[in-house]
Amino acid sequence: MAADTSDTASTAEPTGGSAGSRPNVHIQDATKSFGGRVVVDIDDLILGTHPIEGLIGPNGAGKTTLMRMITHAISLDKGTVTLSAHDNDGPVVLSNLPTSSMAQHGVAKTNQVITDFEQLTILDSMLLSIAKGPDERAYKIYREQGLYADHIDEIQWYLDQFDFEDPYGFAGSAGEKKLLDIIRCLLLRPRVLLLDEPTAGLPDHVRDQLMELIKQKTAEENMAVVIVEHDLHVIWTMCDYVHFMAEGSVVLQGEPAYIRDHETVIEQYLGSGHV
Amino acid sequence: MNLDWLDAFLVYGLFSVLMVIGLALLLHLQLGLARIANFGIVGFWGLGMYAFGVLFVRVDWPFGEVWAFLISMAFGTLVAGLAGLAVGWVIADLDTDGVLVGTLGFATCVWIVATTEQDLTGGALGMGGLGFPYDIGSVKANETLWLAILAIVVALILYYVSRVHKSSYGRLLISIGDNEPLARSLGKRSFRTKLLLFAGTSAAMGFLGAIFGVMERFLDTGNLGIDITLAAMVALVVGGTTRTWGAVVGAALTVAIFDILFQSYIPFPQSWYGQAIPNIREMTFGAALILVLMFRPNGMLGEMRRDKLMRRMHGS
Repeated sequence: MAADTSDTASTAEPTGGSAGSRPNVHIQDATKSFGGRVVVDIDDLILGTHPIEGLIGPNGAGKTTLMRMITHAISLDKGTVTLSAHDNDGPVVLSNLPTSSMAQHGVAKTNQVITDFEQLTILDSMLLSIAKGPDERAYKIYREQGLYADHIDEIQWYLDQFDFEDPYGFAGSAGEKKLLDIIRCLLLRPRVLLLDEPTAGLPDHVRDQLMELIKQKTAEENMAVVIVEHDLHVIWTMCDYVHFMAEGSVVLQGEPAYIRDHETVIEQYLGSGHV
Repeated sequence: MNLDWLDAFLVYGLFSVLMVIGLALLLHLQLGLARIANFGIVGFWGLGMYAFGVLFVRVDWPFGEVWAFLISMAFGTLVAGLAGLAVGWVIADLDTDGVLVGTLGFATCVWIVATTEQDLTGGALGMGGLGFPYDIGSVKANETLWLAILAIVVALILYYVSRVHKSSYGRLLISIGDNEPLARSLGKRSFRTKLLLFAGTSAAMGFLGAIFGVMERFLDTGNLGIDITLAAMVALVVGGTTRTWGAVVGAALTVAIFDILFQSYIPFPQSWYGQAIPNIREMTFGAALILVLMFRPNGMLGEMRRDKLMRRMHGS
């Protein structure tokens, strides 16, 4: 793995699956500018060689923009983003595909800002996420019961994990909406899951439950997870590897302990008084 | 069966109401679920009517009239569907204002072509020669049977719409109308979905237009004005844009009340029936629209209740 301004700590063999077989995203020579200001400028970066990776940095470092570039929610000024899922499909150039193709190729991203379907219930949202193109043809007006029967066990499993007030109703609180956003992505059974500030707005006990779930899914399903998070407790306890971004570039990479104690991170992000 | 009570005025009034319900139901799929604000309903409806009429009248068919009729109906439907595909391709990624202008512009193009292509359409003078594909006796009997056929068609559209609400396809449409970027991030091909929806519903609008042309037995550019679009739009908004039965309730409260009840039981002066009544009709619809938007913005039936539907469908 290499970052453009390489200051990379040596790391142990990733746990929970070998790095060679794990899905990863390779970002090469990618830039994005807004109004003449370069927001992201990545020379060469691979995300996903470890089961759970963190992406941290001060506000405005370009973390969310980079996430959105990976899913092609915003276009790149130049460069490529390639998914290597190590399956029969071979590498897929994500930056040539529309956003709607990301889920099909196994790349899912949660939203930093709370985002929901105002007119769909919690159950609706989950069924929407599970349904594939053939289930949603205009002439398949009797498909719903079959879809429900096929997937209710999986949906019920998530409902049992978390205490939604009314699964048949609408997500009410910000926490429920945030949680639903993440579950929608998990129901897509992604190979690479990008979590953009997943714990913001969640009560502590739900946050802990969720992180435990992410760990479990990562181990069981050979999924690569990248977390952007300002709650550094989550980063230090969850992640196997951390990328530190500043001014649009990844300037430091390594294991959590290495990053936490590195003077660049302390100077630019944590401050000298951090614990 | 004694149908003496069903006079020609009532047959035509009921036909108008059913026509508006059919169009408003199709608009409900576009606007109520997928949030495509189609202000060019009359364009697709009129294109279907004219394509059907021109092919049926102008072509020297080598076989029986019934086959010529069916082929022409299919042609009218197909042409409207293809126009829907072309217009949909242009507007699918536009915002609401763009969709509104684009569809309105298309309807204007249809009116201009129908008015100027005199050799084909008869232009502003219109064109006769259309008729029912059967003859069961009197004019009244033929018209009543055609009304019954329209009623069956509209009932089928209503049934389809009610099933869409209970289907994964309906959920997909709602998700795209509600939050398109989020739907796309979940792998939903929103452009393709909107395009096919628009083409399909436009084809159905064209089919209804052809049915209308048969009832009129005449192609008249006067039918290509804003009236039918406005009637369908007002009916849907008054009834409830997002509700299955919104189109039916709205049409009952607007077109049915005015075109049947008012004109049957309010003794308007005879001289008003030329210019004044159509204007009063539009003003009444406009006033109904304003009042509903002021006091019940989600329409008489209110907002969509997916929670109740989900509980009913999947609740224990």
